Amino acid sequence: MTLEVAGFWVLSLLLVGSALGVVLTKNLFHSVLWLALALTGTAGVFLMLDAEFLAGVQILLYAGGVVTVVVFAIVVTERLVGTRLAHTSRRVLIGGGVAALFLGIMLNSLSRIVLPTSRVPMESDPTRLIGTAVMTRFILPFELLAVLLLVSLLAASYLARPEE
Amino acid sequence: MTPLPDAVVGAIAGVALLLTVVGLVTYVTLLERKFAARMQSRVGPYRVGWHGILQPIADAVKLMMKEDIVPREADRRIFNLAPVVFLVPCLLIFATIPFAPGLGVADLNIGILFFLAVSSMEIVGLFMAGWSSNNKYALISAMRAVNQIISYDLPFLLAALIPVLLTGSLRLSDIASAQSGLWFIAYPVLGQLGFLAFVIASVAAENRVPFDILEAESELVAGFRVEYSGMKFALIQLGEYAHVLGTSFLGALLFLGAWAGPGPEWLGPVWFLAKALFMFLVITWIRWSFVRIRVDQILQISWKLLLPLTMLLVMATAIAVVWRGAPGV
Repeated sequence: MTLEVAGFWVLSLLLVGSALGVVLTKNLFHSVLWLALALTGTAGVFLMLDAEFLAGVQILLYAGGVVTVVVFAIVVTERLVGTRLAHTSRRVLIGGGVAALFLGIMLNSLSRIVLPTSRVPMESDPTRLIGTAVMTRFILPFELLAVLLLVSLLAASYLARPEE
Repeated sequence: MTPLPDAVVGAIAGVALLLTVVGLVTYVTLLERKFAARMQSRVGPYRVGWHGILQPIADAVKLMMKEDIVPREADRRIFNLAPVVFLVPCLLIFATIPFAPGLGVADLNIGILFFLAVSSMEIVGLFMAGWSSNNKYALISAMRAVNQIISYDLPFLLAALIPVLLTGSLRLSDIASAQSGLWFIAYPVLGQLGFLAFVIASVAAENRVPFDILEAESELVAGFRVEYSGMKFALIQLGEYAHVLGTSFLGALLFLGAWAGPGPEWLGPVWFLAKALFMFLVITWIRWSFVRIRVDQILQISWKLLLPLTMLLVMATAIAVVWRGAPGV
């Protein structure tokens, strides 16, 4: 077993375990921590695929950013200390059924194609490729996304504004 | 003698760096205490060893021998895990810093992104500590920390982007060697303003005075670490100082030319260390000169002043680079 295979299995166990932790924990705050672990594990997957830039962005935006915002949301909606916010899983059966169905579809489609086992070498620096692509070919969608985010930011601050 | 395999060399380099950083961080606390004492016309630590030179070691021993207390109502597992989760990112940021040409543990091609990403993970550990203590003061402190991180991560990122744009590379050693001619702080207008923004944003990102609302002793006792004692407290303290020192190294690398300086080449790391300590002393100087500002003032400064200013700076830098036709000084 090579180091790469071992790393893959460790990462998969970590990812599946922490993802299960997110949904199975009763404590909302513990769920968020499992989510942070799962998102960091995803960065590990990117790292194994030689996509360091994506791994860095994954940690910066998801593990550092999104988790922080989720924590913030929990804190401002929950009463401070004392009662612990718990979340229960209702409709476990339907949820399990949907998950099993999805797993079946994935396994089915994956078993039909033959995936290459050896990795295709990178032709050049992926960071540079991403930068060039975003700034030349995909500049319009990129800018539109920026405008969209700005609009949602403005809308959020308008909605959150106290009544005069 | 056969050369050692890469993994072994990497492991040795990692351990050596870790020990150096921990030692350095321990002694940086003494530097800060002495510096603060001088600013307040005091002597500072003096009794342990010559001019208090052994004080940090005495402190470390004291903290190790203290009783480890876990509050009964605390979330025990998270409470115990939090100092480690807090410390690891603070030490990891040193991994990409090249201390001299070719002298670093991992000179990644996304170096600065790694630094920023890993240091943004620190907040997870901090919040775990504040939340699991089950203490109102600790939780308020952690909330304020989240608040502040959301506000100051962006200006910090944008300020750090200015040298990246001037160099045209995310690799830290490239940024450092691009300044062999002219340090980025000497770059007309952009360099000075960028440095200023970087210093303000890093003081805020490190939660130090005047942006220390999350530990404001007079309101929140000791903030998120109020329930920690003994070795766990030492770990949190170590992480905090390691973060400050790491950011000082980053500032010295981004704006002050890293290892560039007069003298032979082997003096490079010495210059780098001197510049990083200079950055550290600037932050300490700010800490002991200003009073704490209010939460709303902190948010105003971030969103209404620092964020637009750094954005304009980044745009201006991009225009300058395009106008001159190529990155570089």
